[in-house]
Amino acid sequence: MTCFDLLPRLGARQWAPLALAAATLLGCKDTGSSSAGSGDVGGTVVVATPGDVGTLLPQLVVTQADRQVTDLLFDRLAEIGDDMNTVGDRGFKPQLAERWQWAPDSMSIAFHINPKARWHDGRPVRASDVRYSVALIKDPALGSTAGPLIGNIDSVSVKDSLTAVAWFKKRTPEQFYDLVYQVLIVPEHILSNTPAAQMKTADVARRGIGSGRFRLAAWQPGQRLELIADTGNYRGRAKLDRVVFAPSPDFNTAAGRFLSGDADMFEQLRPEQITQAAADGKHKVVRYPSFQYAYLAFNLVDPKEWTRPHPIFGDRAVRRALTMAVDRRAMLRNVFDTVGTLLYGPGPQALAVTDTTLPQIPYDTLKARALLDSAGWIPGPDGIRVKNGRRLEFGLSTPNSSATRHQYAVLFQEAFRKVGAAVRVDETDFAAYAAKQGTHGFDTELAQYVTDPSPSGFKQSWTTAGIAKDGSNFPAYSNPTVDALLDSATASFDPARTRAYARRAFEIIMEDAPAIWLYEPLTVAGLDKRIHPTKMRADGWWSGLADWSIPAGERTARDQIGLRPAQ
Amino acid sequence: MRRYLIGRLLQAVSVVFLVTTLTFLLVHLAPGDPLSAALDRPGVSESVRAQWRAQFGLDRPLGEQYVRWLASIPRGELGYSFSHRRPVRDVLLDALPRTLLLAGLALAFSFALGIAVGVLQAERLGSSRDRWLGRVLLLLYSVPDFWLALLALMLFAYKLPLLPPGGIVDPVMHDYLPFGRRLLDRLAHLVLPVLTLTLLSSAMVARHQRSSLLAVLPSDWMRTALAKGLSWRDAVRRHALRNALLSTITLLGLSLPALAGGTVFVEKVFAWPGMGLVTVNAIAARDYALITAGVLVISIVVVVGALLADLAVAAADPRVRMQ
Amino acid sequence: MTTVLRAGRDRPVLVRLARDGRARVAAAVLLVIVGAALFAPVLAPYDPAAQLDIVRLNSQPPSWAHPLGTDPFSRDVLSRLLWGTRISLAIAFIAVSLSMTLGILIGAVAGYAGGAIDAVLMRLVDTALSIPRLLVLIAVVALWHDVSIPALTLLLAGTGWFSVSRLTRAETLVVRERDFVVAARMLGASSWRILSRHVLPNVVGPGLVAATLGIANVILLEAGLSYLGIGVRAPAASWGGIIQDGAQRVGDLWWLTLFPGLAILITVFACNALGDALRDALDPGQLQASLGDDTPHQTR
Repeated sequence: MTCFDLLPRLGARQWAPLALAAATLLGCKDTGSSSAGSGDVGGTVVVATPGDVGTLLPQLVVTQADRQVTDLLFDRLAEIGDDMNTVGDRGFKPQLAERWQWAPDSMSIAFHINPKARWHDGRPVRASDVRYSVALIKDPALGSTAGPLIGNIDSVSVKDSLTAVAWFKKRTPEQFYDLVYQVLIVPEHILSNTPAAQMKTADVARRGIGSGRFRLAAWQPGQRLELIADTGNYRGRAKLDRVVFAPSPDFNTAAGRFLSGDADMFEQLRPEQITQAAADGKHKVVRYPSFQYAYLAFNLVDPKEWTRPHPIFGDRAVRRALTMAVDRRAMLRNVFDTVGTLLYGPGPQALAVTDTTLPQIPYDTLKARALLDSAGWIPGPDGIRVKNGRRLEFGLSTPNSSATRHQYAVLFQEAFRKVGAAVRVDETDFAAYAAKQGTHGFDTELAQYVTDPSPSGFKQSWTTAGIAKDGSNFPAYSNPTVDALLDSATASFDPARTRAYARRAFEIIMEDAPAIWLYEPLTVAGLDKRIHPTKMRADGWWSGLADWSIPAGERTARDQIGLRPAQ
Repeated sequence: MRRYLIGRLLQAVSVVFLVTTLTFLLVHLAPGDPLSAALDRPGVSESVRAQWRAQFGLDRPLGEQYVRWLASIPRGELGYSFSHRRPVRDVLLDALPRTLLLAGLALAFSFALGIAVGVLQAERLGSSRDRWLGRVLLLLYSVPDFWLALLALMLFAYKLPLLPPGGIVDPVMHDYLPFGRRLLDRLAHLVLPVLTLTLLSSAMVARHQRSSLLAVLPSDWMRTALAKGLSWRDAVRRHALRNALLSTITLLGLSLPALAGGTVFVEKVFAWPGMGLVTVNAIAARDYALITAGVLVISIVVVVGALLADLAVAAADPRVRMQ
Repeated sequence: MTTVLRAGRDRPVLVRLARDGRARVAAAVLLVIVGAALFAPVLAPYDPAAQLDIVRLNSQPPSWAHPLGTDPFSRDVLSRLLWGTRISLAIAFIAVSLSMTLGILIGAVAGYAGGAIDAVLMRLVDTALSIPRLLVLIAVVALWHDVSIPALTLLLAGTGWFSVSRLTRAETLVVRERDFVVAARMLGASSWRILSRHVLPNVVGPGLVAATLGIANVILLEAGLSYLGIGVRAPAASWGGIIQDGAQRVGDLWWLTLFPGLAILITVFACNALGDALRDALDPGQLQASLGDDTPHQTR
């Protein structure tokens, strides 16, 4: 009996909010582990994904599709706790390392590898693999995007075959998290024969031989990627026999595959799809937290000359005025119906440093127009404002891969037009969009992020240091007070003080209005009724996939395949 | 005959050569370069970018890159696709047979259907059957292909879930099914895309068939046959058809670019990972190596097809060879 | 049978055309559509870009207030369809006028001059014809992503003149040997004069037929590109663009796919019917024109 059998039948439009409310209230924690039994082992789950996997080497992971698979094939030294704590090692559970010891000065940590851990090819996991994995991420020839995130780790030394010692450059609150969360351990004996510079195109990066509870069974690029349970795994075999990732060209085709029964799971349903899935009797919907959020960023510097302020957005009054011109709630309702929350500030609500009580810039078109008038932007004959011969006309950069942001772009165009600003939507492929970000070559852009549990990402996004090419401060926002506050926030070992510093920093940022805070999508996954998932974590719904189960009595044809290989 | 053959071969080669060059120029004139997608993102250091560009020869002058590109084609080394993260050759080897399957089946069915309908019309020229068939054909000829595909998808895959909503095979079960069921699975996935393509092309074929039949009707031997007492229907079927088939074979050659490029929308709507979809996605992702190779392969297919069609006509009709 | 083989050589083209039932209906339909385009500002109940109420009025099915429904941005579909007619037709007419002019000129020059000029030009045309037009358009628009409507029109024009030039060349080859042309040459008239005075007026026929078909093709191409999201950009309305707005939810928002699709279908059908009638009117002796002018459907 699942949570949703208890809900009454209703008309289509009323289902979504009720279904969601129920999912949240009842918790819907169908934790398979609590109803364990040998009858629960087995089954196949087909996941419809809106993008294909490109690489099976964790150090080269770029997209979420890549991450889903590598997280299942490979292990970390330890797994983050359910409360997503990133300070010290509180809450972390042993994974590849069965225990660890801090040196008294915290400048090094010794990890003891589980002696039963084996690679999928049978060879045992050694400390030298840990050393190799860390060196690989830091190798500039590889070009891993995670490189800058483990800058604090100096190196790893091998004390004996099962003990690896990590050496840090300095003591920070998140040193343990940095190492353990960002580095997935890969086999040295398979990969070390290939030079790092050639790793991107090499075949070994596609073999996916790790130590995780799933192993790679088959991979037909563009069609499907199949994982099967590693039966001899040191942590116990996965409950499911098989997980198949079926890529589709875009979100809607993937959702369509799920709704038609081709796939068993889809990670993010849109409002009308939630209604459909909840009402068709074959599926259930599960809401889970996530770290996704999005905002419209203004470019504060001139794209052609970074030392000069942007001719339009360098002026704080203009930014605040444009923020006032936009009814963020109405836009949210239009795009997400009830399946999204308003973003309050620079980060999502799921983070520990969040404070939703911070003052917001109100929606007030009259004030917006007055503010623009007083800033010197006077409406011209065609309604578009002009100042010193320059029209209030600018571009809005968004990637063509995101339907949500496309919709926001069109809504913004009209909202800004009403206050006398002309917007040109620059919709390009993702690579061109990303290139413009890095070189501050845009006027405004719609940016969507998925953050790590750690608040240190804010340093990359909002400090002066992040303006350089390797950082992610794309708006080029610079405020020395904020720099100091964020530094203090991330250097503090006391969560309460971190929160206080961060709160003050956010308050200043929000007053300066370098961006219009838009949305946090409510992540609602669709599942086939027969699947009993475990709790889905905010940093990746797939993290507990090895413990999902399908009761023996509810299995269908695809669950009967078992562990036999393809014909 | 030999002179004709050599002449056409030379023509075909020169066309392919021109296409290659134009594609290369087009792609390299566009802003960015083949590695932009992979490298021009924050987090990748300048030295890594320079190293990659050097490794792939992108810092050399355009002329040198062009010569290297030309030299690599006969070796079959078509570069590396950054959007698929596999060698381009592998991507195309997967995609090309899928499009050929789709286009081949659609071509065969549409020609069979089109010729039959064209003949049906010519048999009863001016009758209401002729006129109504003509209107239906014109309707099919005028319909946007992506719209027809969307309607077909909506109707047969969503409203009445009879057929699968896209893809080539069932993503899970296919490899575990017995041979017979596997064949059925493949056929089920073929029905909608082939049906859509067939309907669209057969209209053109039927119209062409009708018009070429009508072109031979006033001829002398036709009048003679009729005078000799042959019924109109038999006269059409026996004599006119044979002559008109020639022009229809030429149409085959002409419709190859149509089919090669025209599968794009059908492939997109039905998520059929063939040449059309792969090339369009490559263009959207700025995967230059794949774009160039994709366009090259499509052009070669088209040119070869046209060549074969022309040769078939030349073999059958001596008049053509004299030109 | 005899009905079909009867010659009507004596009557002028327009009269023959006027007597053709197909042509009359097609012309009437096109007149209505052009009228809708011209009077769109008057006929459209709302501003096509106005987002009326993004919370309550988005994605509404057809109703009395909005006969063709609203799109996900709460814009009235009927108004967008009417204004979209302007854009789609304007692009089609201009692009085709340009490409026909170019094609006829080049074809006539190639056919008349012969020799090396002919060979080079026709080789170029053959090459161009063997690259699928759609792919070229997608490639150029996607690679230079700032393509405005005028640029798009020029692009469509620039890729559409190839088969017309072949047709015109074929026709020129025939006309070149006609008595009055030979006579003009013997009398010493310059090539340009002969071309413009004697050759061009007589080879325009197939070009006109190709023009009507060309308009149909361009409408289909522009719709296709807009459907892919790379044709006419927001907030301007075009038929393909409206379909694109609803492409994510084809099953739900059926009115966004159905009505623009019908509009395209009817317009293209009318153009094609007119083209057929024109072709029949121009060649009364034969019943159809020479081979190869029925440009394959999807080459577009």
